[in-house]
Amino acid sequence: MLIELKGVNKTYDNGQPLHVLKGIDLSIDRGEFVSIMGASGSGKSTLLNILGILDNYDTGEYWLDGKLIKDLSERQAADYRNHMIGFIFQSFNLIGFKTAVENVELPLFYQGVSRHKRHMLAMEYLERLGLKDWASHYPNEMSGGQKQRVAIARALITHPQIILADEPTGALDSKTSVEVMDLLGQLNREEGVTLIVVTHESGVANCTDKIIHIKDGIIGEIEMNAQHNASAFGTSTIMK
Amino acid sequence: MRDIFVEIWESIRRNKLRTCLTGFAVAWGIFMLITLLGAGNGIMNIFDSNSEGLDVNTMRVYGNTTSKPYGGFKQGRYIELDEYDLKLTASPVFADHIDEISATLSQSGFKMTYGKRYFDVSLNGVYPDVERLYRIEMLAGRFINRNDIENRRKVIVLTHLHARNFLGGKENYESLIGQRVKIGNLSFKIIGVRHGAENENDTEIYTPFTTLSTIFSKSNRIDMLSFTFHGLDTEEENEAFEKDYKRVLNNYHGAAPDDERAIWISNSFTMNMQMNKGRHVLDVFLWIIGLFTLLSGIVGVSNIMLITVKERTHEFGIRKAIGAGPWSIMKLIIAESVSITAFFGYIGMVLGMVACRVLDATLGSKPIEVLGESITIMENPSVGLGVALEATILLIVAGTLAGLIPASKASRVNPIEALRAE
Repeated sequence: MLIELKGVNKTYDNGQPLHVLKGIDLSIDRGEFVSIMGASGSGKSTLLNILGILDNYDTGEYWLDGKLIKDLSERQAADYRNHMIGFIFQSFNLIGFKTAVENVELPLFYQGVSRHKRHMLAMEYLERLGLKDWASHYPNEMSGGQKQRVAIARALITHPQIILADEPTGALDSKTSVEVMDLLGQLNREEGVTLIVVTHESGVANCTDKIIHIKDGIIGEIEMNAQHNASAFGTSTIMK
Repeated sequence: MRDIFVEIWESIRRNKLRTCLTGFAVAWGIFMLITLLGAGNGIMNIFDSNSEGLDVNTMRVYGNTTSKPYGGFKQGRYIELDEYDLKLTASPVFADHIDEISATLSQSGFKMTYGKRYFDVSLNGVYPDVERLYRIEMLAGRFINRNDIENRRKVIVLTHLHARNFLGGKENYESLIGQRVKIGNLSFKIIGVRHGAENENDTEIYTPFTTLSTIFSKSNRIDMLSFTFHGLDTEEENEAFEKDYKRVLNNYHGAAPDDERAIWISNSFTMNMQMNKGRHVLDVFLWIIGLFTLLSGIVGVSNIMLITVKERTHEFGIRKAIGAGPWSIMKLIIAESVSITAFFGYIGMVLGMVACRVLDATLGSKPIEVLGESITIMENPSVGLGVALEATILLIVAGTLAGLIPASKASRVNPIEALRAE
């Protein structure tokens, strides 16, 4: 198993303790295309942060590619994030004063890759995502879909073990949303990228092969969705 | 390295005005520091050039009045140095430290005659070292030398004021060399013409010490005894030596051995030492003023960096999420702070050096009239390469310090919260 969570608990303590994750057990295999679905407040964002090593958990174990992710120093956590995890965010989170290609290069910069080499790689990824002509444009000159594709290129460039997408279509219209989800599906099928999408939209979840429902901090039903027929609104649209 | 500078440039480019205003404070601080130190150096250079020629360690010894009664004498008795003091000075007791001994003796009441022209003059018997000590400027011929002293030659050095008179207003001083003048009943050969300061009524005539003392002086007295010395490297050593020396001379003159005032010693080495101390104090003082001026600039940079960090919180969140370690974020902010400080600091430094040149051109070269006397306030006000290097190090340290707090704030950004903030 690529990801193995055993009895993960997380409590926030802002004035009064808030038990967000109440013993999460979860395994995700290499090459899976999974969505984690839940209402707001269900703990899905916290789970994503823990999976992305952005946050710590209190008790339990999180194994990622055979490594126990627990009590890491900031430096180690940054290193693991850099090498093993790619992030795709709802609001893209591109750096505004950097061009598309510079944004894509950035994870490689933190790996110490030479300027020339990382530029070549970044151009290669932009080309694969059909953004070659936009390489020297700044994020504010691009459409939402283009920005998200730049973000996907940035997530892919380090060949991470997993890609975590947090509401990747949240800021996109339905047509672009379909395109982005198709792109993610294609990356999963053709390149074997392990993808975990966190969403509250059933249409988005329907695009994935496995839907993990989370509710009140515990894993509920795990729906196998190889046929992509889980959505009540049809298979090929994302309801906005 | 280049990547960091690209990042810094991108950040500064977005806040040009803000950065320039902050940088101005830093530039001003360094400008003040360099200008102050330059002006301080200019003032100290004046003292240095006034005490030129005293670079060799010399003690000048004068007779003075006793400060306590001793051996049947009351206090306040005047001590007059004489030739036996010269012998005492040359004795083996002091041979470890004393190198060359010289003395002066002046006697007035002579008539110097050349042809039909004459002057009432006083004669100064001196040793050759006087030329260096008094910075005598020879216009023709030579000054008194060792042979003159040893052979008690009857030779004199005149000022050009005398010479001009003898020549009837002409200035071909060379023609006087080898000529003879009459002093009293004796004939003296002119061996040199020196420059005499006209406005200071400088009409001293020099003759070998030995000549004057053997021919004219009845009491063997001397006015001043001086000697060069070595091997006294601290103030304490000098003090101890002076004490010993005074004890020996006091004993000869019948003054109390511990009488500090019977013999008066002017020591160029300790004087220089004190001047260096004074220079050091001045330097420290100017550095402190400059540093405090710079401090406000540094606080400004720190402040601006804090604002920058706050503005860039979201960006740092992104960077951290995709793998930036705390140190790489910290490095970014410190490098930016050092760059701003160093860049504007260097502008300030260059302007400060320009200001020193301006000072040199205005105050440095021309003497100023103050109460009828012409005074040069400063000479060559400038800072050396050493100060420029010190200032460079200072700027880097200051920039690092200014960036430290903002940088640690930036490195502690929590990526989850930073990503949420927009």
